[in-house]
Amino acid sequence: MSLEIREKQLPGVKFPDEESPGREDPERESSRSGVDEDSGFCAIGKSFPRVDGAAKVTGRAQFAADLRLPGMLFARVLRSRVPHAVLHSLETAEALAVPGVVAVCTAADIPGQNSVGIIVKDEPVLVGIGERIRRVGDPLALAVGESEEALDTALPKIKVDYEPLPAVFSALEAMADYAPKVHGDSNIQSVTRIIRGDADSALAAARIVISRRYTTQMVEHAYLETEAGVAAIENGLLTIRVSTQNPHYDRREVARVMGIGQHRVRIVQVATGGGFGGKLDISVQCLLALAAWKTGRPVKMVYPREESVIASPKRHPFIMDYTSAADGEGRLLAVKVRIVGDTGAYASYGPATLKRAAVHATGPYEVPNVFIEAFCVYTNNPTAGAMRGFGVPQVAFAHESQMDLLAQALGLDPFEIRLRNCFKTGSVTATGQRLWAGVGIAETIRRAREKARELGMLER
Amino acid sequence: MKTVRFKATINNRPVDLLIAPNRRLLDVLREDLGLTGTKEGCGEGECGACTVLLDGRPVNSCLVLAPEASGRQITTIEGLAADGRLHPIQEAFLEAGAVQCGFCTPGMILAAKALLDENPRPDGQAIKTAISGNLCRCTGYVKIVAAIRLAAAKLAGEEGAR
Repeated sequence: MSLEIREKQLPGVKFPDEESPGREDPERESSRSGVDEDSGFCAIGKSFPRVDGAAKVTGRAQFAADLRLPGMLFARVLRSRVPHAVLHSLETAEALAVPGVVAVCTAADIPGQNSVGIIVKDEPVLVGIGERIRRVGDPLALAVGESEEALDTALPKIKVDYEPLPAVFSALEAMADYAPKVHGDSNIQSVTRIIRGDADSALAAARIVISRRYTTQMVEHAYLETEAGVAAIENGLLTIRVSTQNPHYDRREVARVMGIGQHRVRIVQVATGGGFGGKLDISVQCLLALAAWKTGRPVKMVYPREESVIASPKRHPFIMDYTSAADGEGRLLAVKVRIVGDTGAYASYGPATLKRAAVHATGPYEVPNVFIEAFCVYTNNPTAGAMRGFGVPQVAFAHESQMDLLAQALGLDPFEIRLRNCFKTGSVTATGQRLWAGVGIAETIRRAREKARELGMLER
Repeated sequence: MKTVRFKATINNRPVDLLIAPNRRLLDVLREDLGLTGTKEGCGEGECGACTVLLDGRPVNSCLVLAPEASGRQITTIEGLAADGRLHPIQEAFLEAGAVQCGFCTPGMILAAKALLDENPRPDGQAIKTAISGNLCRCTGYVKIVAAIRLAAAKLAGEEGAR
């Protein structure tokens, strides 16, 4: 997958409303909300209690792990302990013989497609025989039983035979030709390029050029509630009550994996104990569907914390090479960026995260010449997916550090260099978007400076 | 496995059960008594979501063997609202916007109750210390600290604290 965004040069072409960049039309303004502020229906500027607040402060709110259905079973999954291997066989008979164990499912039991993924369907629900394990934590077999204790006894009795493969744990190494391949014949999942003007020529002519490498780490969301759900077949509908941020997607994936129409799947998002992006991916949904389908009984699955940390997607670790150039007054002339994001074993939201990182790589600043490349790269590390900010916090760390270094090199105040470069009404971003309204960055910087002075945080 | 007798007062009600001696207090509350307001976040005493009051003191119920709690007074989040009316701490959490996902909320409110029962006018540091065993990933704690201040004012019957 590759995306190139090149700013279209349209000399002499006026954008609509260029004469009134704020698009301020008092009549339109007043009619926009269409709600009389005194009617009692206007919520803007007022505080209201959460609709689910009373249930949450009294303990009545039902999270997935709080649900209990008659005849309910429990499910646990056996996960790989090796990062890269070919799965040769799974022997489940001994586990199935443990008292209280009702079923042990493998990939062969999946009636539909054994793959999930929001952007690329590259992740198995359960790794099939002859298929590849791509990370520590890949699900291999699903045990269903009368109690979690029975499952804890049963899971270690499943015999796993696999052939280890060389693994790759560095995103930079993964990009090399010689690296072990996680999927297909290249570990580069996607590339996003943003090109504006001529960055190289601008760099050559600049007064000051700063080049640095920035790296950021993997981050676990650590929502207080681990992944959990309960599946049951109710009136012919496969119904899954689950802690999720993405019920519509969950329904599509469960239907695909089970080989049934979406009209036969119902996903209910119950009270969800934090997500922060980490509950946008499939966790227990398809496993629960399989367990309920196979046994015909309601099934509950709750990840222990350790499993949540092992199995859930993380924030992408980034390696960012920045070169920023400015003139003598500190005005940005060019920014060149190369971002490598480690998406781990599966794409998850990786391609979108790296695309967004590229789009935001120049920060809230006007930069006439830009060359940005962002690579989303597979490794045998834990999968990285969506997390608050979607790649933007990583690049913010880098572009703001660059601004400080430029200011320092030019003897400029760090507030001043930002004010000289930040977006204003009518500015054009690196991707060619003209900002018509709501550009508050300069005002924000000024007020932050005032506040910092007030609090004695600035010397001057 | 042999069973032991578990006799305790939970939310001012007597409870008398036969339980396996290796059960956690958390599981007896959630599974045997249906008091699912007490949450399990980590199962190893790090997050505080399973906080209950044992003779008025906050404990992680995932680290308490149920037989250890026999013969004691236990308060869970379900025991706070009396006669269908929210406890002032519960009101304060709602009004201050201290509730987001709600998973840490029961434990946080009980940690606050233990503090305010002992120290009705805590300063910011005392509040932070009291909830230092309770993790929250949504709020950033600022509104939780504000809610506990508001609760202190409400309990003291101050004007404007409603």
